[in-house]
Amino acid sequence: MTLIRRYVLPAMKQPVFQWMAFLGVFIVVGVVAALMVFIKGLYITNLSDLVPWGLWISIDLSAIALAACAFSVSALAYLARRESLKPVAKTAVFVGFVGYSMAMMMLLLDIGRPDRFWHGFVFWNIHSALWEVTICVGLYFTVLMMEVLPIIGHWDVVEQRFPKISHSLGSLHKLTPVLAVIGLGLSTLHQSSLGLTYGKLVAKPIWYRPWPMAINFYISAIVGGIALVTFISLFAARLTPRARIDKAVLARMAYGVGWGVLFLFAVRWWDLMSSMPAGYVPGKTEALYILTRGRLAFSFWGLEIVLGMILPAILLLVPRFRGNERVRMVALALIAMGVIAYRWNTNLVGQLVVFGTVAGSDIPVFTHYMPSLVEILTGVGVIAYGLLAITFGVRFLNVIDHGEVVEAPAETSVPAAMVPSSR
Amino acid sequence: MSTKIDRRDFLKLGAAATATAAISIGMSDRGLIPLPATSAKAEADAEAKAKSAQRAARKWVMVVDQNKCVGCDLCLAACHAYNDTPPNISWSRVEEVEPTSEGKRVFRPMPCQHCENAPCVEVCPVRATYHREDGLVMMNYDRCIGCRYCQLSCPYGARFFNWEKFTGPNPDVPHAGTPEVERRPRGVVEKCTFCVHRIDRGLSVGLIPGVDPDATPACVVACIYGARTFGDLNDPDSPVSVLLREHPEAYRLHEQLGTEPRVYYIPAESKEDAAS
Repeated sequence: MTLIRRYVLPAMKQPVFQWMAFLGVFIVVGVVAALMVFIKGLYITNLSDLVPWGLWISIDLSAIALAACAFSVSALAYLARRESLKPVAKTAVFVGFVGYSMAMMMLLLDIGRPDRFWHGFVFWNIHSALWEVTICVGLYFTVLMMEVLPIIGHWDVVEQRFPKISHSLGSLHKLTPVLAVIGLGLSTLHQSSLGLTYGKLVAKPIWYRPWPMAINFYISAIVGGIALVTFISLFAARLTPRARIDKAVLARMAYGVGWGVLFLFAVRWWDLMSSMPAGYVPGKTEALYILTRGRLAFSFWGLEIVLGMILPAILLLVPRFRGNERVRMVALALIAMGVIAYRWNTNLVGQLVVFGTVAGSDIPVFTHYMPSLVEILTGVGVIAYGLLAITFGVRFLNVIDHGEVVEAPAETSVPAAMVPSSR
Repeated sequence: MSTKIDRRDFLKLGAAATATAAISIGMSDRGLIPLPATSAKAEADAEAKAKSAQRAARKWVMVVDQNKCVGCDLCLAACHAYNDTPPNISWSRVEEVEPTSEGKRVFRPMPCQHCENAPCVEVCPVRATYHREDGLVMMNYDRCIGCRYCQLSCPYGARFFNWEKFTGPNPDVPHAGTPEVERRPRGVVEKCTFCVHRIDRGLSVGLIPGVDPDATPACVVACIYGARTFGDLNDPDSPVSVLLREHPEAYRLHEQLGTEPRVYYIPAESKEDAAS
């Protein structure tokens, strides 16, 4: 009791701990829901043989896509030698680590035999895009862990109590450029293969375009990931002085993301136009109907195209708007949301049209999917975990700290703007 | 310590390296160096090789005559019983399709098509579903992780996930047959096997699948109208070879996808067509 009175109650007066406790409630509820799934089985979800991949896979795809910030910012900072991006790479790596751990939690729930999650590493099917994703995600998670360990090593608690461990973890930082190369390779492979996972299925005409799917997944992951890490940095700096940002660097990043999202829009539009059949193609025409005029129309036109691509491109590139930091933050958040909408739409559009796979579906028929409560609660739980982990990183691990010069402190390339922003 | 290597050391090192390489190559299953194996292992290997060669010579095919199928679902009842499938899963289904020009009802039974270029075999991340030497698409229930990717990939909707554990009685047992295979665990995908256990057991006692009922898939045996026929397409005298020679109009489903299914359909025709 004294412990609670001495430590917990005063801490609860701080908004950050209130926020963490708030997230904790959702995590507890999510864990209970997940236990129900593990014990009772997947029949308590709304997944079916017609729509076997639902909300969980969408969250998993989105988490992996937005976690692409880790490899892309690392590559820019350490391979393209953008020195000013090195502190941002630290944030990106942490966010990426959280993203991949979210994805793995979702996957563990989604597969029917979670006790066999390791089979992919032992029983290889080199022809399967999903196998490649499994291997690359597994290896890349290890890479991310090695990149995140130095950050944990620099945590006050570890530094004070275990100085030796802190030192050895910190020395892992020397590997960062090497890890950036490996990360770039592994991420390029599995981000595009996730698109290929859908793109090579002959059974679903709307998905069956291997190259466009792979390219779209890859580009949207990079753009969405960089947008997310820029947004998180700006947003956290508004909430806490612990997040020390270099606004000039983030403004340049946001401007780059603006061009990136414009490019993404061009690629996506080219993909859509080239995949439009001239005549009636069974299965495909119906799926395009769902996407452009049916059930997914709002999510497609509204969230993905207009709010997710066109509007943020305007906000980030037109000189009148791009100077305003609030507008910039809104635009960056919209891009991340657009990428999530893209994953959701892509995953569902192929499954909502049933063609030739159930009785009477020689003429394509529509099915529907709405996640069940238990799916939503576990999904929210995993998202709450992600937010909690990022909050923890900002509060205790200094993951957003552009004031700290990571390497070569004597280097003159450190701009004057590197001085911690004072608010 | 001197870093120089004299001749003696060099030879030693070379010998050690060669021995290591030889042992590791010999122990690998590539068979680059035929090491003398124990006789039991050699025998077992030879047996397995002979078996796979025998299997590779077969091409199991099902032919469905849509003129004969009346949609009675007797085949499904037999399938449910013999393969002990849960009530919410039916490995095969009988669909009603467009009637003939005369208005006669037409049905189309749909088992797993056992495609030669099976999308499910290609996409399974753990090779839990695979091709046997005779081309049958098999399921390894002990390896499946339940990711359900194969369900997305199948153009025929022939794969079913065990959303819950099948406990309790099977409504089709015993009147339609008795279970011959184990129930599958929760969380894995299952599908029609062409009753591979019946084929294998029948062959092992010298029966001919497709001719002898005990070696033939349960649905084929159960059909009292003779709509389903089974056999080895590589054998010119098998019932399926004869049937397909008589009916060059036989077709397969979704042939444009290039999956090369192993189930053939003889289309239903109106009487004038048949007479002409």
